Amino acid sequence: MSADTFDIQAVSPMREGPAERKGNAVANVERSEFVLEVNNFSVDYGVGENMVRAVNDVTLHLRRSKVLGVAGESGSGKSTLVYAMTRLLRAPGVISGGSVTLNFTSRDDEKEFTTLNLVTASEKELRKIRWSHVSIVLQSALSALNPVLRVGREFDEVLKTHRPDMSKAQRRARAVELLTMVGLNDDRLARYPHELSGGQRQRIMIALALALDPDLVIMDEPTTALDVVTQREIISELHDLRSRFGFALIFITHDLSLLVELADEIVVMYAGEIVERAGASELYEAPRHPYTLGLLNSFPPLHGPRRELSGIPGSPPDLSDLPAGCNFYPRCPFAMSRCENEAPALTAIENSDRSVACWLHSSDSSVPVPVELSRTVNPARNPVTTLKERP
Amino acid sequence: MSEAVLSPAQLSARHLTRHFTTRVPGRFLTAKRVVRAVDDVSLDLFEGRVTAVVGESGSGKSVLARMLARIVTPTSGELVLEGSPIPVRSKRTLDYAAKVQLVLQDPYASINPVHRIRHSLERPLLIHGANKGEVETLAKAALSRVSLDPPERFVDRYPHELSGGQLQRVSIARALCVKPDVLLADEPISMLDVSVRLGILNLLRGLCDDERLAILYITHDIASARYIADETIVMYAGQIVERSRGTALVDEPTHPYTQLLISSVPDPSDPTSQDPQKREHATFEVANVGCRFAPRCPFAMDVCRTDDPPDFIVGEDHTSHCWLHASEPEAAVEVAPPKRRREGEPTKA
Ligand SMILES: Nc1ncnc2c1ncn2[C@@H]1O[C@H](COP(=O)(O)OP(=O)(O)O)[C@@H](O)[C@H]1O
Ligand SMILES: Nc1ncnc2c1ncn2[C@@H]1O[C@H](COP(=O)(O)OP(=O)(O)O)[C@@H](O)[C@H]1O
Ligand code: SF4
Ligand code: SF4
Ligand SMILES: [Mg+2]
Ligand SMILES: [Mg+2]
Repeated sequence: MSADTFDIQAVSPMREGPAERKGNAVANVERSEFVLEVNNFSVDYGVGENMVRAVNDVTLHLRRSKVLGVAGESGSGKSTLVYAMTRLLRAPGVISGGSVTLNFTSRDDEKEFTTLNLVTASEKELRKIRWSHVSIVLQSALSALNPVLRVGREFDEVLKTHRPDMSKAQRRARAVELLTMVGLNDDRLARYPHELSGGQRQRIMIALALALDPDLVIMDEPTTALDVVTQREIISELHDLRSRFGFALIFITHDLSLLVELADEIVVMYAGEIVERAGASELYEAPRHPYTLGLLNSFPPLHGPRRELSGIPGSPPDLSDLPAGCNFYPRCPFAMSRCENEAPALTAIENSDRSVACWLHSSDSSVPVPVELSRTVNPARNPVTTLKERP
Repeated sequence: MSEAVLSPAQLSARHLTRHFTTRVPGRFLTAKRVVRAVDDVSLDLFEGRVTAVVGESGSGKSVLARMLARIVTPTSGELVLEGSPIPVRSKRTLDYAAKVQLVLQDPYASINPVHRIRHSLERPLLIHGANKGEVETLAKAALSRVSLDPPERFVDRYPHELSGGQLQRVSIARALCVKPDVLLADEPISMLDVSVRLGILNLLRGLCDDERLAILYITHDIASARYIADETIVMYAGQIVERSRGTALVDEPTHPYTQLLISSVPDPSDPTSQDPQKREHATFEVANVGCRFAPRCPFAMDVCRTDDPPDFIVGEDHTSHCWLHASEPEAAVEVAPPKRRREGEPTKA
């Protein structure tokens, strides 16, 4: 798939004239409306015969202060994508293609708009942007926090490293402020991680991620290990923090219903590829990809008559043995003959701001689109406004 | 429903209780703390019915399942299998193990990874007295029952060669091999991929409808309980706080904890479910005296802090362990037997 089949064009953030190259970064560029631009990004595990492609040709662009949801079942490449994007990927994982551009305002005296390709950035350049501009919250807060450090020390270390200008008292004051922000009492600073509940630890991870006021926060299944009541509290907390601080958010989960409530835009991944991208309510009310439809039908409802749901037949894909054509072909209830050998590319749907990788929606398809996959969004009923009042 | 009530329960739990004493290291002294993991839980599992137990982690679901499977010895209470009381303090018999089978959450942990699937199925059959000549046929039949077809494709594979959903089917097949009457499924879908969860739920429902198994379905996901249950039980801190026939308690929850649980589930189809208002943060404090939910309950009254409520009838086959329902006219009947008071609890006024 080439970048131009994708419906958001990659904007060139560079300004003619006095743009200034600083290593892999280019400073003094025009301010981009996107905080992150990922283009044709691929990631492999291993080499040679045993190589599997865990992320394949992913393109996504995230606007400032927006929430991008990444959905997909386990093994679809969600974690690999964000680890690789932020260069936290470890061997045997390797980035095998594409670019990841972060656009930010530098924190030094010049406060210049800067653009940095994270794929080629040096460790030194990465250290500058990590935490200050991009921060990550992982699923298991227990393993992310150092078990022998009191929570207060954890805050102190982060601030000491990135804000050498702060005094000890200022760091302590900031730590208290951050804890209060996530609804925790400052007496938690004296605790060790094991003395806290899962929800409290995850709140602390969120507070740490926000410590340096980043432009982009990435959360990989931050609530999956938590109980539903705690999850709900953290989600509304997050909503609150976002409207106060305006960071952009990439939120990864296998729980599509949760994303529909939280995200502005959702991408659905299957076998390492984006198979559908749409606004959250469009995706929920009018899915276009058979896999998205299957996922939505995999959650039993809390209301309405009880009826049998079928979920998605078959098993999740095996990356080392993918079908020749569409990856979803073996499980797809709508599969056609061309799907067996030809892989559909992620393509913009005409007159819309969404894309799908499925032959059913191809302009040359002779098969009518099934009703389930051609519903229109009911504009009278937009169920996802409450959590997302946006200016 | 009425015919089911007439036939005796396959397995009944009467006032099952299990306390654990744990040591809490303090600065100077190690304190002893009693965790009331399961407290006075009674339930009946009938053939052809799915009973769902819903609760957050730590509410006592697994301890309850293990007591029903007789892997954990109750502190008090009794079990009745097909009408006969079971001496719970004695060792579990082979016969009991065959009749009551437990399926666990993580199939990768419960199926031995070094053996082929065949071995995992044939071993319990041999233990339970099948002869060598028939085990292969029985093992394959069990795989077919869980829709792993054709069984020949699966018997010689190793666990890591199967997906999580397929392996959970194997662990259900292993439980079915010995022809149990009761299947206890402890969070059987929570570790599985979203797309295959319904397949397992439909399988359980099918076993219940077609083969008349009595099934206990344990979950933290109240929507999945609503999907398959004939009776739904909500547990909080070791106690049953609400129970109803079918899913009445999901449609009309009466206990503040059930209400909190339901309102927390992401539900894009219900605009009112998304309460943008910041909630008070959950305290995980469980009260030792009075209603255990009182520290978190927005409706807590004085009586809640001193007396544990009984179960009040709030509808047909629907009870709620909450003082809020004390004054309702039809709730005048207390269904629960008077509670035995525990040491240190104040006397009821
Ligand atoms: N260290 C590794 N070596 C080999 N394959 C890996 C490794 N880590 C992940 N994978 C594979 O990459 C795929 C994507 O994994 P992951 O990104 O963790 O998916 P998700 O986060 O969506 O569950 C999976 O098929 C997984 O088996
Ligand atoms: N062997 C044990 N020793 C001490 N406490 C235990 C033991 N097993 C369970 N518990 C406690 O009992 C309570 C209920 O646990 P469990 O039944 O596993 O909950 P659930 O399955 O609902 O998550 C928890 O507070 C747990 O810590
Ligand atoms: S391309 Fe074909 S097989 Fe793939 S999702 Fe679309 S209809 Fe199904
Ligand atoms: S008994 Fe009281 S504290 Fe307990 S749930 Fe009912 S109202 Fe709340
Ligand atoms: Mg992951
Ligand atoms: Mg459990």
